[in-house]
Amino acid sequence: MYFPLSLWDIGLWIAMMAIILLVTSELIGSYSDHFGDFVIEKTRLRLAAIFLGVAFMITVLLRIAIPS
Amino acid sequence: MEVLIYGKSQWKKWKILVSLKSRDKPKDDKESEQATVQYLMKTLENLQKENEILKRDLLKSKRTPTGKIGFILLAIGALTLAGSVINTSTVLAFIGLGLTFWGALFLFARPVKFVKSTLLDSTAISSYTTIDRMIRDLSYKGKPIYIPPYPKEAYLPEYLKGLKEMIVFIPAEDIVAMPTIEEMAKKQFILENPKGICIAPPGYGLVSLFERELKTEFTQISIDELYNSLPTIIVNNLELAEEFEINPEKDLIHVKIVNSVYNDLYANEQNIKSIHSIGCPLTSAIACALAKTTGKLIVVVKDLISPDSKTIEIWYQTLEA
Repeated sequence: MYFPLSLWDIGLWIAMMAIILLVTSELIGSYSDHFGDFVIEKTRLRLAAIFLGVAFMITVLLRIAIPS
Repeated sequence: MEVLIYGKSQWKKWKILVSLKSRDKPKDDKESEQATVQYLMKTLENLQKENEILKRDLLKSKRTPTGKIGFILLAIGALTLAGSVINTSTVLAFIGLGLTFWGALFLFARPVKFVKSTLLDSTAISSYTTIDRMIRDLSYKGKPIYIPPYPKEAYLPEYLKGLKEMIVFIPAEDIVAMPTIEEMAKKQFILENPKGICIAPPGYGLVSLFERELKTEFTQISIDELYNSLPTIIVNNLELAEEFEINPEKDLIHVKIVNSVYNDLYANEQNIKSIHSIGCPLTSAIACALAKTTGKLIVVVKDLISPDSKTIEIWYQTLEA
């Protein structure tokens, strides 16, 4: 019984999520009705995307520092 | 008479009884009053409690589903992650990570305050109706003039500090004559020479917001910088309109706004007249920004509203002070 994902898997997933969030935050606007009932704060979405991007960079640095 | 028959001791008893009875009357009144007050207090408390419950119910029914969805995603994600650890499954782990992440994101990114744009119109109507009434009652015919203020950091003597505020001067006559600096500095409402009234522009608050977004005062930037920054602030930062264009046209400045949050104010049902001369809060804020940047007087020359009120075209003119 252990967590099945390695640091590399998580890093890759974080990178993908960061890209998706950045693109989403650029495309949607809370003014438009495209999101229907969902109301999301765009700035916070972008903040989360940037945070994920930084997290990905950390995983990359970790891989460079500790090459296993 | 009976008292005399009963003798001295009985007379005393009777006296006491009478006095007690006479004292009881106001006491009873007081007691009943107290009981009524207590009953009313209890009823009031109950009603307040009921009101709170109703308010909570109303809020629940009106609340956007973002929060609920966030919690559901978070719970399912956590369960899936736990399942992935138990079964050592990478697929479950990825699904769990995704769900947990999106759940957390929905909770984090949901707006703290969400106000429907129709509320903006409802709150603005009263001030426009008041302006309409004032202009009609005073039978003023002049076009409102936006007077630029002095920059905030400029030194002015105490008695002239009123000049640092943006004002709109509505003259009594159509002939443009400006009030003196002293008169404007006094922050008076009714001016005598020339006859007219001074009011705060409807877009006064919005201009401050624009400046906060711009991180500088409009008095500090050039007109070209204003033309470049206004569309970004209005469309992207504050999302007050879907499209915004500002172009100089000979001696006029043409502004086109599509789907402004204030476009319902221009609808015929509202029947507001002053909105065409002073402008809605957004167009008034643009006039204020223009006045501050150019340092000149600004007048709304004309406006053109599409039949569905979605597109507003407005022409401003700069006048030398």
